[in-house]
Amino acid sequence: MTGHDVARSGGPELEPSLQHSSSVPSVLPAAPTRRRLLAGLGAAAAAGALAACGGRTSPVSPSVDAPPADASPAGPSASSGGALTVGAIPDQDPEVLQRLYGLVADSMADALGLGVTYRPVTDYAAAVSLFRTGDLDLVWFGGLTGVQARRQTPGAVVVAQRDIDEDFRSVFVVNEATGLAPSQDLTPLADLRFTYGSQTSTSGFLMPASFLTEQGVDPRGFPGGPGFSGSHDATLQLVASGSYEAGVLNEQVWLARVEAGEVDPAVQLFSRTPPYHDYHWLLGPDAVERLGEDLPERLQDYFLGLSADDPDDARVLELFGAGSFVEARASDHAQIEAVGEQLGLLR
Amino acid sequence: MSAGSRAGSAAPVGAPVGAPVGAPDGVPDGAPAGGDAGPSVPRLRRARARWAWGVGAGVLLLWSLAGAGVFSGEVLNPAGTRQLARFGAGALAPDLSPDFLRLLLGSTLVTVAYAALGAGLAVAAGALGAPLLARSSWGRRRTGRLLARGAVAVPRGLHEAVWGLLLLNVLGLDPWVGVLAIAVPYGAVTAKVFADLLDEAPRAAHDALVAAGAGRTTALLYGLWPQAAGGLLAYAFYRLECAVRSAVVLGLIGAGGLGYQLSLSFASLRWDQVWTCVYALTALCVAAVVAGRAVRRRIADPPVPRGGRLHRDRALVVAGVAVPALVAWSAWYLAVSPAALVDDRAREQLALLVSAAWPPDVSGPLLVALAGAAVVTVQTSVVAVALATAGAVLLAGLTTRPAHRVTVPRALAGVLVRTALLVLRAVPPPVWALVLLFVLRPGVLPGALALGVYTLGVMGRLTGEALEELDRRPADALTALGASGTAARLYGVAPRAVGPVLALALYRWEVAVRDTVLVGLLGAGGLGALLALQLAVFDWPAVATTLVVVVALTLAVDLVSDRARAVLR
Repeated sequence: MTGHDVARSGGPELEPSLQHSSSVPSVLPAAPTRRRLLAGLGAAAAAGALAACGGRTSPVSPSVDAPPADASPAGPSASSGGALTVGAIPDQDPEVLQRLYGLVADSMADALGLGVTYRPVTDYAAAVSLFRTGDLDLVWFGGLTGVQARRQTPGAVVVAQRDIDEDFRSVFVVNEATGLAPSQDLTPLADLRFTYGSQTSTSGFLMPASFLTEQGVDPRGFPGGPGFSGSHDATLQLVASGSYEAGVLNEQVWLARVEAGEVDPAVQLFSRTPPYHDYHWLLGPDAVERLGEDLPERLQDYFLGLSADDPDDARVLELFGAGSFVEARASDHAQIEAVGEQLGLLR
Repeated sequence: MSAGSRAGSAAPVGAPVGAPVGAPDGVPDGAPAGGDAGPSVPRLRRARARWAWGVGAGVLLLWSLAGAGVFSGEVLNPAGTRQLARFGAGALAPDLSPDFLRLLLGSTLVTVAYAALGAGLAVAAGALGAPLLARSSWGRRRTGRLLARGAVAVPRGLHEAVWGLLLLNVLGLDPWVGVLAIAVPYGAVTAKVFADLLDEAPRAAHDALVAAGAGRTTALLYGLWPQAAGGLLAYAFYRLECAVRSAVVLGLIGAGGLGYQLSLSFASLRWDQVWTCVYALTALCVAAVVAGRAVRRRIADPPVPRGGRLHRDRALVVAGVAVPALVAWSAWYLAVSPAALVDDRAREQLALLVSAAWPPDVSGPLLVALAGAAVVTVQTSVVAVALATAGAVLLAGLTTRPAHRVTVPRALAGVLVRTALLVLRAVPPPVWALVLLFVLRPGVLPGALALGVYTLGVMGRLTGEALEELDRRPADALTALGASGTAARLYGVAPRAVGPVLALALYRWEVAVRDTVLVGLLGAGGLGALLALQLAVFDWPAVATTLVVVVALTLAVDLVSDRARAVLR
């Protein structure tokens, strides 16, 4: 900084000043000051680096949010080696759960006597990769992403699912301008501009595509190709606007929006899909190794024991949009696996 | 590549138009390079090369518009105005509840830390890498220099979000993901720009030192560095501003910070919360722009020393201390640990990723799909830049800070337009894409316009700054002779402005190609959409091929725009 000040000061208007002896001292101190400045900066950088190594936890990487109820926070069990790292990617109102995750972490930590870290993630593919690498121990996956994660992580255990996940459905909606009446026949949709939700969503893409195929509609056909709105709410709004004449979304989101009176009257229910399994909790093999063979049972007991009658439990259940959690088996998702392979979404 | 480009080549030009715009990647033609446009004696003749380039640009634009479906059938969807209005209403009623604001405060700190540390590392990498890329250090060894520049094209060709997704797979949930996703591509760009600035700096002092027997390093440090320091510092600040916006984009892929909160609220279309995030980002950008501008101004036009005595410029000293302090704080706040970059886990995951991606998929259907997607990507970027350039030129009268005193309404309009441009570029392109999809039929156009609106936010400001740097005397002379304001602008400003503005448009075109991947990544078409699908199904061999195509396309656009700029000079 000083360097160029001096360099630039050689302009003509400065020359007279150089005849004054007084100008000399004003230039000379620059060097020691600069040295002091550089030394200060070096010290600051070193201090920063030291602080970074000095056990401070990052606001964006794992740390223990909820220490176990029965352990001293400074004890060895509070390190991430003894804690369970949990993540979830809900597809309904993700901002609510992702911002209130402290409730979930506290509830689990109290019930299990473990340190629990909740890691908010937004990207499905990233969650699958992080589950494989062991960054996430326990993840609430959608049907398709859960199957992807199990294929990439041998030894992963399905822990539980919500009551509604046993009988999950999607709904096809159309803009009223299409004039289509509700029907079980999906073939009229083939000639409409059509949008799915996210490409990795089970209820917003995979299963609806499968049901379309069953009825002879090419799921990647549609005039101009299908759209991927990115989320169920975006699908609703896009169909309401008429940019897309039809779309498909998760029934749970549809019912919630209908109940809240938030659905635009231009959007009409067209068809309801047959049931399939969707979301489930998946536990990684590393965590079982680290925290004990009985971890899957303990977790299952915890989830199945959540009761809507208990106010604390009820808040957790509400965050997941569940009435209760129930048992789940790996075989529940065989249908999703078959469809995923058929559509080229599983490798 | 726009309407402006055709207008430019049609104008009776032949003389060098304006000063060459100094630095690539949309840096405003900063202080150091701008001032040397002395009076030249133009020989009037038509430049054939410019005609050819102008016609080529026109054809490219028409082809892109045709691809976007502008000439074939309906593109508008007026019924969607209600949804658009809902988005607009959120702007007037952002979520200001204390809980949400507290949440955003923490997120804002993360974003600032990512931006500062990422940009800091990028500038350091750029300073170290610049001598390796500079023409002056290679001399006549052109092959070596071309190889060095080619090596930089790879990190530069991929968007920050793509880097983020790749790094997430190697490093997991580590703050390095966000930092490196900014530092890697920015470092490459900065090295290239620094090299160009070094090449353009006056060399007399350097050569004199060498002739007097000084070593190479000494000559570089004392002969060249001080000459180029102003431009380098100005560019470093510009990078910091860009890094703030990039840090938000990284949040969209899950790296935390403001962008993460924005994407959560965006997923359930909570527009009131989205707008709060946008305003927080706007405030950050204002801070970065104001600070950067103050520093650039002082470097470009050092205050006249009082009493003829040399003294340190306090503002520059504060900036010089505050920025490294901010970088150090960022490292502390994010708690980045260098060990995490080289530990077994990272190496293991990298090996796994490489082995999964090798050999890249070169099957016929994929290559056909890639070719189609590349066409869409090019068309999207061309339409986007054309729109942004046209808009920036139309608004130029208001975005340029007036040299003389103006009426209050005119000054207010200027402030209003500049703020609006800031908001345009604070809303991430994927949000624009969805919002525009409400009122447009699906296809290339919504994505292209989304990117165009965002680019307009950037171009508008850069155009305004480029015009401020122009010599005002021709326009003043015309006004003094009695010309109307319009005539003075048309004959006094426009001919000199065409060159710098088109050069900016060409630089932004390269950036737009990269950004198109981002818009595609989150929904619209082109290479980005293909990449998103491949990443979602973990088809690593296909991802590898797609990334090669993206880098090659960026490189091709870079070369074309480089040739076009050479013709403009």
